[in-house]
Amino acid sequence: MSDQLLALVSQYGAPALFGIVAIAAIGAPLPVTLLLIVAGSMVSQGALNLWLAIGVVSAGSVLGDQCGYAIGRWGGPALVDRVSRLFGKRARLQPMEQKIRAWGGPGIFVTRWLISPLGPWINLASGTAAYPWHRFVFWDALGEVTGAALYISLGKYFSDRVISLEGVLGDLTWAVAALLAAVVLGYQLFAYLRRTARPSANIDPRSPESQAETE
Amino acid sequence: MRRWRTALLIGLAFVLAVAGTFTFAYRAGRRAHMLRFENQPIRPWMSVPFIAHTHHVPPSELFAAIGVQPREPHDRRSVRRLAHDLRRPVPELMGELQHALDAEVHKPGGAGK
Repeated sequence: MSDQLLALVSQYGAPALFGIVAIAAIGAPLPVTLLLIVAGSMVSQGALNLWLAIGVVSAGSVLGDQCGYAIGRWGGPALVDRVSRLFGKRARLQPMEQKIRAWGGPGIFVTRWLISPLGPWINLASGTAAYPWHRFVFWDALGEVTGAALYISLGKYFSDRVISLEGVLGDLTWAVAALLAAVVLGYQLFAYLRRTARPSANIDPRSPESQAETE
Repeated sequence: MRRWRTALLIGLAFVLAVAGTFTFAYRAGRRAHMLRFENQPIRPWMSVPFIAHTHHVPPSELFAAIGVQPREPHDRRSVRRLAHDLRRPVPELMGELQHALDAEVHKPGGAGK
């Protein structure tokens, strides 16, 4: 599958790139990072214009993201169910809605390019959580342009090392995801320990916490 | 008791996340260090100009090696597509390209020098 897509991009350039990133943004599991690095390498070879490549990738991704958002917001539960089943389980959508409410725009921005596997989930969840559309478009476009510029530039700079570069970026993405998880868990652990270490004399005996402790 | 179990579970997940961060960061760093020295493999999706660029070899040399007259102005057919057009197996064509690259590297003043 990825071989065919890479061959399409290699042979047809910008139109193929646009179509593939749009489909990937809706939720199809396609190797977009590798495609962008290859596009960067093609820029370096003179087969593709840098600004055209960044523009086409950003436009395609934003279009796909808007489809995901629209499905979440106006598609109704049956369609949301069907689409979310394409890349996981419907049950995973609920925690995402909570995250959208907690993180808002920066969460949308980061899932466009740094933790991109979460992108399609966040699109759907933004729609179902009725996150304001104009804000979604702003953070989405900002994130997609950042991601396109970053990966295509990396591909251009390391144009003769695209396969190895993909491996480096894959490891880096996991490292960043693990770091984010460590920060969230560390904060939770700290807050939990501080809460439980509080002297019980300060707790209101009618509060639910105090009742839970006596159980 | 239940409180300590929860704290232990969060603590364990935290340690795992920290270990994951260091493991993947180390792997990424090591791979990045090797980036300039690693041999880039030939894949069926690659076009001949792409392979030539990756190995710093003129595309005409590779086209000549596999006996293909490139289409003008840019022949960006993949190796798989070329193999299909030439009615030859993909691995055979890839082998010929690799052979041509090796010969180019070992030429005086070639890509590997």
